[in-house]
Amino acid sequence: MRRTPIVITATLAGLAGVLAFHTTPANLSLGTLPGASGAAQAPAPAGSGGSQRGQSAGGSSSPPRSGPTANAPPGGTRTVVGPAVNYNFGVLSVSVTVSGGKIAKVGIASIDDGGRMRSQFIDQQAIPILEQEALQAQSANIQGVSGASYTSAGFQQSLQAALHTLGFH
Amino acid sequence: MAGPPGLPVHSVHHLENVMGTVVTIDVYTTDGRAGAELSRELATARALLQRADAVFSTWKPDSPVSRLRRGEITSAQAPAEVSEVLEQCAIARELSGGWFDPWAMPGGIDPTGYVKGWAAQRALGAFRASSIYGAIVNAAGDIASVGGLGHGTPFRIGITDPFSPGRLADVVYLTAAIATSGTYERGNHLIDPHSGRPAGRVASASVTGPDLGLADALATALAVAGEPGLDLIEALDGYEALIIAIDGGRRWTEHFPFAPREASPPLWEPAEKTARSSVFADSVFEDLG
Repeated sequence: MRRTPIVITATLAGLAGVLAFHTTPANLSLGTLPGASGAAQAPAPAGSGGSQRGQSAGGSSSPPRSGPTANAPPGGTRTVVGPAVNYNFGVLSVSVTVSGGKIAKVGIASIDDGGRMRSQFIDQQAIPILEQEALQAQSANIQGVSGASYTSAGFQQSLQAALHTLGFH
Repeated sequence: MAGPPGLPVHSVHHLENVMGTVVTIDVYTTDGRAGAELSRELATARALLQRADAVFSTWKPDSPVSRLRRGEITSAQAPAEVSEVLEQCAIARELSGGWFDPWAMPGGIDPTGYVKGWAAQRALGAFRASSIYGAIVNAAGDIASVGGLGHGTPFRIGITDPFSPGRLADVVYLTAAIATSGTYERGNHLIDPHSGRPAGRVASASVTGPDLGLADALATALAVAGEPGLDLIEALDGYEALIIAIDGGRRWTEHFPFAPREASPPLWEPAEKTARSSVFADSVFEDLG
């Protein structure tokens, strides 16, 4: 078995049945997710004079730049599929597409939830977490990502609605 | 096997399925060993998270909070944590000028906007081993931390770009806690407590500060209140905020801890010695290419 630098930590239990990357930063390119290198620059934090409050105009982001691609594995685009694992509602596997040494896509390769229509739930739960871990792993020297897409009361409300829709009690 | 003396080692990376989401726990140590003490602390942290879920879940019908919402029990009859959290929620409601209000949620009292941060902060308290440089409990984007990477090097945390969740909008130095709230991606889920209707005036609101429970509540409030809410945060010692507006513009309080986006080379030992929890099956993908 040839091994990729991508190590997947798969949960066997748990509500969401989330799979997540555990990657070794040193083995990854320093680029970010496709297009991510165009993320807006942080506003200058310090030394901004006596300004009581910072502000920056919308749409003033720096133009996209390419991140360095140290240690990029050779080759073009490859897709790897993780093993099917049991989760609370069935069996699923995850696919990861690597392009030019960067993770280009994360998805559910297969899912069997016994016809209980829970794939929507998995998509909502697992994919953002996977992407977050991928983003974190590929961004040089950060130890976490804070985001609102699956957080706060709003998320819980959404989750609750999704669970009801799915007939989960 | 550890690197040069003093180089922090990423010793624990654990994912816990809890509270309807995934909580990640990362611990950086001086020696890279996930020894017995650290294992016990991880177990304690996990138990605290699961306990919070069992008590506060609003969708598990038998949870104390679900029963409280249905009027079957009073808060005095609920486990002690419930009263503690509701007291903190009342404080958060006051500090947020009423923009965070668990009592104004449709369907009855809902402290969820405080609980996830509270639980993560509580779980973080489990990590006290002397070998620890720093620890992070990340409750799906709401992050509690202690310490850093050693030698005064703080943790760096990315903030998701609300217009493109696969990108980072900013990077901050994490002093203790950061919570981010917003209305993007999943539509409009935040409730304006003043009207009881869905609201959301910003794309993303992040709050940093000493306590994740309060930061979580304040981020929720700020996402609903919008830019005027920054004055509330500015008035709170130790708390800072960043708003990314619908038009992409940014507003922030005076001392929001922006970090340079350009990162220095990794300062920790990332490698294979990282211990993963036994509840996860490690596997290496087969290369199908």
